[in-house]
Amino acid sequence: MTKEISDPVRRYDAIDKCTGKQKYLGDMHFPGALYARMVRSTIARGKILAIHLPEMPQGYDFVSYKDIPGKNELWMIQKDWKCFAEHDVRYVGETIGLLCGPDKEMLDDLLSQVKIDYEEETPAITIEEGLACKGGAFVGKDNLFCEMTTRSGEDIDKVFARADRVFEETYRTGFQEHVNLEPQSCCATMEQGRYVVYASSQCPFYIRKSIAGLLNLKPEDIDVRQTMTGGAFGAKEHFPDVLAGPCLVACHKLQKPVELVFDRKEETAFTVKRHPSRTTIKTALDKQGNILGMDIDVVYNVGGYLSCSFVVLQRGVFHATGCYRIPATRIHGRGVATNTFPSDAFRGFGAPQTLFAIERHMCHLADMLGVEPLEFKRRYLIRQGDMTNTEGHINERVMLPEMIRQITEASDYERKAREYKPSCGRGIGLSLYNHGGAFTGNGEQVLIKAKCDLHKMADGRVEILCGQTEMGQGFHTAARKIAAHTLGIPFEKIVFENIDTDRVQDSGPTAASRSTQIAGRLIQQAAEQMKPRYDKEEDFTVHVEYQHPEGFPWDQEHWKGDAYIAYGWGAAVVEVEVDPLTYEVKTVGIWVSHDVGHPIDRLILRGQANGGVMQSLGYAAMEVMENKGGKFRQKSLADYIIPCSMDFPMMQTFLVDNPYPYGPYGAKGAGELVFNGADAAFTEAVSKAIGKPICEIPIPPETIEGLMHAQHD
Amino acid sequence: MEMNTAYAPKTLEEALQIRHDTHARPLAGGTDLMVQYRRGEGAAPRFPWPVLLLCGVDEMRGISRDGKGNVTIGALEISADIARSELVPWHVRQAASRMGAISLRNQATIGGNIGNSSPKGDLPATLILLDAEVELASIRGTRRMLVDDFIIAAKKNHLEDDELITKVIIPPHDFTYVWYRKIGTRRANAISKLSLSAALTLDKEGTIIDFRASSGAAGPKVERSRKVEEMLVGKRIDRIDEVLPAFLDAYDGVISPHAMPEYRRRVTRNMLSYFLKEAGKRPAGKVIEETC
Amino acid sequence: MLSTIEFTLNGKKVGVTADPMKRLLDVLRGDFGLTGTKEGCGEGECGACSVLKDGLLVTSCLVPIGACGGADIVTIEGLSETARGKCLAEAFADGGAVQCGFCIPGMVMAANYLLMHNPHPTEEEIRLGISGNLCRCTGYDLIVESIKLASQRGEGLWK
Repeated sequence: MTKEISDPVRRYDAIDKCTGKQKYLGDMHFPGALYARMVRSTIARGKILAIHLPEMPQGYDFVSYKDIPGKNELWMIQKDWKCFAEHDVRYVGETIGLLCGPDKEMLDDLLSQVKIDYEEETPAITIEEGLACKGGAFVGKDNLFCEMTTRSGEDIDKVFARADRVFEETYRTGFQEHVNLEPQSCCATMEQGRYVVYASSQCPFYIRKSIAGLLNLKPEDIDVRQTMTGGAFGAKEHFPDVLAGPCLVACHKLQKPVELVFDRKEETAFTVKRHPSRTTIKTALDKQGNILGMDIDVVYNVGGYLSCSFVVLQRGVFHATGCYRIPATRIHGRGVATNTFPSDAFRGFGAPQTLFAIERHMCHLADMLGVEPLEFKRRYLIRQGDMTNTEGHINERVMLPEMIRQITEASDYERKAREYKPSCGRGIGLSLYNHGGAFTGNGEQVLIKAKCDLHKMADGRVEILCGQTEMGQGFHTAARKIAAHTLGIPFEKIVFENIDTDRVQDSGPTAASRSTQIAGRLIQQAAEQMKPRYDKEEDFTVHVEYQHPEGFPWDQEHWKGDAYIAYGWGAAVVEVEVDPLTYEVKTVGIWVSHDVGHPIDRLILRGQANGGVMQSLGYAAMEVMENKGGKFRQKSLADYIIPCSMDFPMMQTFLVDNPYPYGPYGAKGAGELVFNGADAAFTEAVSKAIGKPICEIPIPPETIEGLMHAQHD
Repeated sequence: MEMNTAYAPKTLEEALQIRHDTHARPLAGGTDLMVQYRRGEGAAPRFPWPVLLLCGVDEMRGISRDGKGNVTIGALEISADIARSELVPWHVRQAASRMGAISLRNQATIGGNIGNSSPKGDLPATLILLDAEVELASIRGTRRMLVDDFIIAAKKNHLEDDELITKVIIPPHDFTYVWYRKIGTRRANAISKLSLSAALTLDKEGTIIDFRASSGAAGPKVERSRKVEEMLVGKRIDRIDEVLPAFLDAYDGVISPHAMPEYRRRVTRNMLSYFLKEAGKRPAGKVIEETC
Repeated sequence: MLSTIEFTLNGKKVGVTADPMKRLLDVLRGDFGLTGTKEGCGEGECGACSVLKDGLLVTSCLVPIGACGGADIVTIEGLSETARGKCLAEAFADGGAVQCGFCIPGMVMAANYLLMHNPHPTEEEIRLGISGNLCRCTGYDLIVESIKLASQRGEGLWK
């Protein structure tokens, strides 16, 4: 392979997926398996008084916390989320038990007959209700799962004391459902005396760690085998534990394989969501309208259990000043407990919420100062060497000026921004965004310690043995390319199976946009070590471990230093028309540019950009998910509306080349970056088209109607 | 374990006899009922009553026009074919072509859409506008009724438990201007959030001799108020501005005060106002184009 | 009650004895092992379970097997054996249309149905043709381009 690595190849899995041959977990047959249905809490908060089960036919059983021989906890980051509720329930949909048996229809019959008596308590649903400890605090004394403050530059109180004026606004974002097309699915079995868990999962090693304690086992005692994963977006990072735990307990009790596959209603009502957020940004300005500093308050709705929400909050805080150089900052972040289904990982992982806020804020500051938004943003564009809000530095060349040039020229932004008068029904908006690659700070070194093996087989094939999963993002194609390119052998000679924790090294979770950047680099290093031996030796394995680059200090206790060694960068322009009769928004153009270092495959990148941008546009434009009294009002794909092929036009996507020295062939993370900004560009375009400020998403037509006519009514 | 009971007759006579004997409920395309009675992943739906599978009754298909211009559509005709048929009036074709997605339009039938009696149903809004009738058959005989009278409220209608909807009959019209707009949950593959079907007929002098409008997804059933419509009859289209405010205020009352009334009322006002003003400006060109 | 229903499946005469209201989707997956047809939503919204029934694209989650007596059913497995199915698979693979793949069998079925009626569709017609098939990964652009590619390469395959 001598051609440039970015040149597209055909994905290894494409043909089987097109012909229906590719099996997902629900397509597999587990001999002798029992099926399972979850018995869940129907109330948002209260005590379980009694569970009334119907008479169980032969071969059917009910599994609950009483069947756990070990500890009733799922070990995600902490161990607060229970496998099965015992006495208290914190949210609608909390797992109470598992009905198991050979026939799905009989299970549905039984499920409809389970009656649970509760003593109901007053739930807190919204951020405000959580902060006010409505119904009494259920986490600590203040309902705060997590809290943090970062500071940079001059003391912020002093900065505000000498400010000429202060501009303050609050921004909100809603729940978002992942809508991984393949539902959550899991099967726990016993094979040759070992527990084997099959799961549609991003992070098989997470599952192993999380559920072993239920049976008093060590993680290594369980073999987790990832099945082809049909979309995840974060929904299959920690949440598969919530299926795998009960299945494992049931398998242990019943000594049979237990298979659990969600349907779409369960996916919609009873799985994790993106954190709703409230971000207040207060900006101190001098007489000339220059930004002196920002005091930012970030609150995320965590729901009933912590899961990875503190890490999500951290990322939100670290991205709260976006792509801008702000001389002094204080950012206060809180994760509040409420009685909604726990919020969890979702592409962007906390960054999209605060990036939306800072982008809206910069536009509104510009409007207030009478400056064109892009012109205003340019004044504060962060550059290489500039200080971040954790007093770390931007280490790479920032190519935003070039990226802005690409998309503004292609979209004719400057002319349109000048000519489309506010409330003329047409609008164009631009947003800038970034995403810190891989785990925060020195997490890759301290927490993950990624490892990878590369095995040369006698027939000349080479197998990659690390834990990164394929879930549609294309990593197993990218990884094959890296190995093949480095070894100088054909792509087809590289083997990379779905992950089996018994067979591969733990290279960390498939999350945090770290797979290509971190594991891809390990694969490249392993292949470099293998290359001189490849022709000489028949069958051997090369083992590599992650080495953190020197010179990027990070203090996790005080949130100081380089939160990320490198960022992906993005810029988006969106143009819209608002129908004057119906307030429906028609998006007429989308232009995006991304810096992902040097791409491993341009076509995969285009697919990522296209999909991520559309998911972000859905987030802003149509994906309304409301929670009333603890229940989501949207129940299926008929009322939770994601974009179809007609909703947005063909996007024009650009890349800039900015090789990253610590990534494989210069590549950085990309998967989340592409989600992080189109929402704000869309919102700005709509805001301009209707001539009203917009501080909250989503904005369906009925919201736009309300905004346009607010003062008349 | 319980199972469903279902009958699959081949003739209308057989179907009516089963309906009479068992009160089995009709299922045509299944696009509503299969969702309504579905259960978990991989499980069959469970119907609390016997099901009469109508798909084999070919007598209930066909689209035709008689010498007087009445168009008859068999109850089992699917939306895709209705949308394609040049015999079918414009409003109904518009609604049929915007119903759900392609696969849904290949399954959903006009009889089912009426029988389901949802205020969000795409076809009833246009059928009610056009004074279409349903034919109801039983072994006792047949009867006809306006679709508007047949549908009482959401999921409620006048179908007796031995009857089937066999056909829909649409009388001829000669409108001067027509309007149809569905506001869906997205740009295609969408459920209706609101729709407005309207038609206007002028005489040679520009006086309104017929005006009608029906609103879908705006209340417990498709709403049409003949009283409000009559406010415009006899008025001159070139002086529509004089009556428009009072007319629009009166039309507000057609839209249910529940569920996003501000949005639905304002959008309906916008559309009605646009339609009537444009009609005053344009030659009798029939279709007022959408604006976006 | 159990009914015996006979129909044609991917060109072969078959029969199944089942609850007549059992979904065609479950019959295909459970009784015939044709798992290429996916359950994405069970409500006819996502199109992952699309099959051809008597030449019409339908969502098999909404079709009771009792309504399939004498019907001609073609699934992704059947289509993939044909020149049309192969052309589409190759075009999807080359065009980068496939990510997680869960929507793809239904997408290929919809693309084939579109080309059956319109062998040379415009971009807008392709978008309309697949608008009943939800995909969360790709943003659709590469699927649209791949269908265009199939229509160019498959000259004569669809009329």
